[in-house]
Amino acid sequence: MKVQAVRRPASRRALGRSLSVIAAAGAALIALAGCSLSSPSSDSGSSSSSSSGASASSITIDLANYPSTLDPGLQYDESTYSVYRNIYDQLLRRDPKTQQPEAWIATKWSNPTPTSWDFTIRSGVKFSDGSPLTADDVAFSINRMLDPKFNSPQYANFSAIKTATATSPTELTLTTATASPTLLTYLTTLSIVPKAYVQKVGDAGLNSKPIGSGPYEVESATSGSQITLKRNPDFWGTAPSIPTVVFRAVPDAASRVSDLQSGQAQLAADLTADQASQLTGGSSVQVLSAPTERVAYLALNTLGDTPTKSADIRKAISLGIDYDSIIKNLEGGYAKPVGTVLTPLSFGYPDKLASNKYDPAAAKKLVQESGVSDPQVVFPSSPSYDPQLIQAIQSDLKKIGITVTIQNSDQATYLKKVQDPKHDWGSIRFGLWSCSCLDADGVLYPLFHTGTIWASYSNPDFDAAVEDARNTLDKGRRASDYAKAIGILNDDVAGIGLYQVDAIYGASSKLSWKPDAVQSMYVDQMKLSK
Amino acid sequence: MTTVHEDPAGTRSGARSGVRMPRVRRPGWLRLRDTRAALPFAIILAIYIVMALAPSWFVHAPALSSDLSARLLPPGTVRDGVTHWLGTDQLGRDLLNRLVYGTRISLAIAFSAVLCAGAFGTFLGVIAGVARGGVAAIIMRVADVVLSIPFFLLAILTVVALGPSLINVVICLTLVRWPRYTRVAYAQTLEAQGKEFVRSAQAIGASGPWIVWRHILPEVLPSVIVVATLELGTMVIYEASLSFVGLGVQPPTPSWGAMLSDGREYISTAWWLTTFPGVALFILVLSVNLLGDYVRDRLDPTEQGRSR
Amino acid sequence: MKLFYSGTFRYIIGRLGQALLQLFGVVTIVFVVLRLTGDPAQLLVPQQATAADIARVRHQLGLDQPIWAQYLHYLAGICHFDFGYSYVQNRPALSLIMERLPYTIDLAVAALIISVVVGIPVGMISAVQRKKFLGRAAMPLVLIGQSMPAFWLGLLLILVFGVWLRLLPTSGAEGLQSLILPAVTLASLSFATVARITRSSFLEQVGAEYVKTARSHGAGMGRVLFGHVLRNASIPIVTLIGLEIASLLGGAVITETIFAWPGIGQLTVQSIDARDFPVVQAIVLFVAVVYIAANFVTDMLYSVIDPRVRITAAEG
Repeated sequence: MKVQAVRRPASRRALGRSLSVIAAAGAALIALAGCSLSSPSSDSGSSSSSSSGASASSITIDLANYPSTLDPGLQYDESTYSVYRNIYDQLLRRDPKTQQPEAWIATKWSNPTPTSWDFTIRSGVKFSDGSPLTADDVAFSINRMLDPKFNSPQYANFSAIKTATATSPTELTLTTATASPTLLTYLTTLSIVPKAYVQKVGDAGLNSKPIGSGPYEVESATSGSQITLKRNPDFWGTAPSIPTVVFRAVPDAASRVSDLQSGQAQLAADLTADQASQLTGGSSVQVLSAPTERVAYLALNTLGDTPTKSADIRKAISLGIDYDSIIKNLEGGYAKPVGTVLTPLSFGYPDKLASNKYDPAAAKKLVQESGVSDPQVVFPSSPSYDPQLIQAIQSDLKKIGITVTIQNSDQATYLKKVQDPKHDWGSIRFGLWSCSCLDADGVLYPLFHTGTIWASYSNPDFDAAVEDARNTLDKGRRASDYAKAIGILNDDVAGIGLYQVDAIYGASSKLSWKPDAVQSMYVDQMKLSK
Repeated sequence: MTTVHEDPAGTRSGARSGVRMPRVRRPGWLRLRDTRAALPFAIILAIYIVMALAPSWFVHAPALSSDLSARLLPPGTVRDGVTHWLGTDQLGRDLLNRLVYGTRISLAIAFSAVLCAGAFGTFLGVIAGVARGGVAAIIMRVADVVLSIPFFLLAILTVVALGPSLINVVICLTLVRWPRYTRVAYAQTLEAQGKEFVRSAQAIGASGPWIVWRHILPEVLPSVIVVATLELGTMVIYEASLSFVGLGVQPPTPSWGAMLSDGREYISTAWWLTTFPGVALFILVLSVNLLGDYVRDRLDPTEQGRSR
Repeated sequence: MKLFYSGTFRYIIGRLGQALLQLFGVVTIVFVVLRLTGDPAQLLVPQQATAADIARVRHQLGLDQPIWAQYLHYLAGICHFDFGYSYVQNRPALSLIMERLPYTIDLAVAALIISVVVGIPVGMISAVQRKKFLGRAAMPLVLIGQSMPAFWLGLLLILVFGVWLRLLPTSGAEGLQSLILPAVTLASLSFATVARITRSSFLEQVGAEYVKTARSHGAGMGRVLFGHVLRNASIPIVTLIGLEIASLLGGAVITETIFAWPGIGQLTVQSIDARDFPVVQAIVLFVAVVYIAANFVTDMLYSVIDPRVRITAAEG
């Protein structure tokens, strides 16, 4: 009956007319509101971009995540250290060309015995609260991470250190349980915090109000969104050329690209090759890239009950992947071929190692000879890994007669599965590995040594070689150990190096900066022209 | 003694969710002269269903294998004598092919999710309405609990716990959407039981299940169908949203949501990757929504829209 | 009158009890489901960690205890308003939520304003001009937003207004202009709902007896419309808006991710990704409280406006 009433023409027409008037008025209001909103926005938008362009007084950097903490003793993920490495000084830095550890806060070092190291600490360095940086602060920064109660995720990187003691304000002595060839390389990631301040305000206080001695200090932070750093006026080194840095968290990569294209950001991290190719066309943006020590690899399950138990199948897989096509088409050339699960940047990569071979015919033959009829392999993966690459491998292997089933799960489930000591996670998994140490020890040992969480492989000869290399400072001996270990690994095909990853950044064409192999984002090395 | 008195939850939750239970005018809901308005949308939906059932009528065999040298070819490119009418995707697969085969996946998910959640939810709702008392209280409380957890968060958690796959996406959508049907079915069951013909059936000693089947279900179903039609479009969108967070169907299975989500990083260079699946999805959801609005109008012009 | 007051009082107490029970259910479900999703310790350690490192972190977080012990510990914490510490950020979960809340409120309110400003007129037009072109075209128009996944719509908006026209910021949370695109994206999902409910309650009201009476007494259509129809039709609309606020405050996961908006939605996804159990639990609890409170308030509002509900309450 209600509907009938509505059908009464007179009232409806009248209602309709008055409604149309209201709607028109509403539309006009919205339009007005839209104008008043959009005009100041376009003004301020252009003025902010032009001001940053004209004076180059600030740079906006898009990261994938908001730093999970500003306490350098805690998290060690890329977005986090990109920010805090600019606030704190590290004990050592790397030479951008040779990648060798070089002086920074420590000016000199020596190791009188294989298990003890003496460092001379730079004098005249001040934290941004005015207190001087001494060897005691360095020792404190190490010891707090070694304290089990502090629960530092970086514990594993420094666990080789037995004691850290300041013998004078400028003298630091470290002792290790056994000879540690990778000590210096991990010390390039050691950020120094002020002992007195941390003891006063506590760990939470340091996180909320960080004090460091680095080139920048925190000006303001909006949790989850952005952190603004300003130049530290008391910085001991060369003053950085860009006065203000804004780090923003932009989780979606497509949005980071849009930010660059619209001029809202001058640098964006964590781009894929395809996104880089979108940026190469324009004149206002450029792509910056650098080979890193990160290696893309496949690990094959040699222990579980899967077709990859067969050495022939494993060999076939390594011959059946079209590496060059992946590098050229999928990675857009932002990758380099490798011959094992290691990059040439890392110590231990054999000099004359041949790159992987692609031979589908031989691979097909091997599959047929393997005695495994219709091999079905499971390939677990997670959203962290490029699905295109995994699908490309799936389709390559189909051509040689191996059927691949991709099993996606989220990262935590994936880790639980592949790190389960029962080794029933499937046959092939993809991974990206970087130890920030530029040494084979940080790659081969955790990935393939018997009993480590990642290894679904066990070979006593391989284990002996990497163990020996781990406990000596003799470079020649280490190099030959790794040559031997890599030989065994490649013969067993327990892992396949796919390519060396380039770090890809999108940048304003006004930015001059050279990215490095460990993806450190030192803003003091950047210049943004007018 | 009102039904409200028996259990306050039903009517109140009905009122508060904005879903006032439709007073159904059953006999008239398919009057021919009014179906004209809905016809175009019904035809579109029919085409989609045919595409889902028989994709091979439209395109050749599924292109599951990739060809990296044929990546991102624009629409209309002819390569090796094959015309890629809608271009190729980021792995060199024909987009038209994937789009047509993707219809099946997207529709399968949407229909199964609606069917499962609808059946499960209606079942519980009718049980609650017939049993009343403690049983009704428990069922309706659980429904309230599920509704007060943010939908998408619960969806992510369940897919994460189950592991993403086509079946698990359907299970997840069922687990988080059933309370909508339960509330409607519950209120309708209560209302139906107050009606004369149900009471007289009870009076002549008809068995409980028979009354439910013969008298109550026909009263309940139209409202459930209204909810179901509107949910159909929502399910398509949510499948796409799950793909966005990486928890949709598995590659290389083509679903529109996955295609749209994978293609988004090419939005400014390879526009076809998002445009075609996006438009296909858009037309489907729009048609289903308009069809849903229409069905609801026919069933009850005063029904107040769906809750979220 | 006395009966009414005591009834109302009992009703409120009853509702409060129900709400607590409901919260208990929410907390329990989420606690259990979260524990099925994997091990946070594996995500927290660096990749070269050993099994011993993982075990150490697990112990530190109390994850090596039996699940019932963890659950009791968690419940005991809630009773003292202690919602735990974030595994990732080593800070109280509640303070993380409080930092994000203002952004989510901004976005929710803006989206709500847009959906009301668009949804109500469209619903009115399509109700009153049902058989005319304008009335028929109106609903499909508002349905456009609801028929596109938010991430696609959001990216298209960014592309057009941020990259091509350069009118609005592409992402971030700096000032009013960066609020516009995410708010429009979010609102596009709900203005169809608002339009639908407006339309149907208008159809109901326009046919009501009092409108006819008012008209027959010579009242102008505009006066009838605003004096009576809009007020009466607004009851269900207000109810819906109450619920929309609650659901919007739950955070818009996808919209916030696309636009890098630092609200609760983004925090939710990141916390689930990192298996930051205390944060996810705190968010769910928070949203459930808001949802239940919004329900309660709208119910109260409803019972004030609509006497039938009040009588019902007194009876119950």
